[in-house]
Amino acid sequence: MNIEDAAQLTQSYYCLDCGVCTGSCPVSRVLPSFSPRLIVEKALLGLGDELLRDQELWSCLTCSRCFERCPSSINFPEFMRLLREEATKLGTQPVYSHHGMLQTIMELQTEGINQKKSEWAKEAGKVAKKSDTFFFVGCMPYFQVIFRDIGVDSLSVSKNIIKILNGAGIKPVVSDDEHCCGHDMLWNGQVELFKKLAGHNLEVIRKSGAKRVVFNCPEGYHTFKHHYTEHFGDLGFEVVHFYDLVGQMLEEGSLTVENGASSLTYHDPCRLGRMAKIYDGPRNILQRIAADQFLEMERNRENAVCCGTSGWANCSSGSKQIQVERLLEANATGAQTLVTACPKCQIHLNCALNNLELDLQIKDLTTVLAEAISV
Amino acid sequence: MTRELLELMGINNERLALEWVSSAEAGRFTEIVTSFTQKIKDLGKNPLGVAA
Repeated sequence: MNIEDAAQLTQSYYCLDCGVCTGSCPVSRVLPSFSPRLIVEKALLGLGDELLRDQELWSCLTCSRCFERCPSSINFPEFMRLLREEATKLGTQPVYSHHGMLQTIMELQTEGINQKKSEWAKEAGKVAKKSDTFFFVGCMPYFQVIFRDIGVDSLSVSKNIIKILNGAGIKPVVSDDEHCCGHDMLWNGQVELFKKLAGHNLEVIRKSGAKRVVFNCPEGYHTFKHHYTEHFGDLGFEVVHFYDLVGQMLEEGSLTVENGASSLTYHDPCRLGRMAKIYDGPRNILQRIAADQFLEMERNRENAVCCGTSGWANCSSGSKQIQVERLLEANATGAQTLVTACPKCQIHLNCALNNLELDLQIKDLTTVLAEAISV
Repeated sequence: MTRELLELMGINNERLALEWVSSAEAGRFTEIVTSFTQKIKDLGKNPLGVAA
């Protein structure tokens, strides 16, 4: 799609040049050379070629804070995504984090490998080959290996989900054949690879006979719900977020938790909050666990700040600064624990916490939930 | 770590080797390369089928 069509589709022509986007942008705060307003302006002035050769295209976190506030409702994250697709065709690439290791894994998945990545699930509880419910685990087995050294135990989250599902009498499918959901490839600008990954996942899920797919990763959830349907139409199964399911279980009383956790605050992941509009579900769970010990950060819900890097690209000193500010904000609430609901927020914020002397710990919402379950 | 990742991807991690050889150890260098080449030949084509 050329820049003109992208501008049309995302309503960028309605730009009032007011600068609310740049004023809202967490990246512009720390890297003043980056400005969403200027990017839109350049595109509209016909300076597209310059834009498409600039690696700065990937500095945008696509966190959607600007879109949330834009008076003309310009979908800037989507505009960036479309520009990245074009830039990729011209050979412009972001600076991949972790030496491109994660992108390599994603690409290898489209080359017909036979993964062996579900052993942990059998140890955690009961899983099935065919079932009404498919648990889309996502990148967690890989994260477990890659990010172990910064103290993030990714798979413990997935294991707890299996236990909670089992507790409710659900025996989910966990598949070795599941590929990456394609979120990162899509936002990196590699739409063809995204389609390959997505098409394969749909086939695997349909073969399992599942009527619903449960996600805990906000990226997977949003990508299925929004982008899969955009590219493939009706999926033929329901896309369910784990916390919605937990909310339902708590309502029915099939899952009970003890109210007594120490003070908590909650970080809204951008895919779960601003993109999927899930703000209350996680908060309802936390209210039950830590009632009056649940403290909000100054910038929360629609105003929450991104965890500093996205799509495993362009992680810079600016990312680190955003993360440190976010951690200090969490600490300022007086909470002992910062709860996240996204595996990547968990990784990024932990990475920054390791270099700080802060009396704060970071936990995934599922972990906090699992600790509070009363038997 | 790379070996663990290969295992998750279902690729035999015996296909990866990392050795340190000093510039003074010509004999050791040829020995390692020869034996690793032989090992890969014995293992056969990789499951990806991209590198023939």
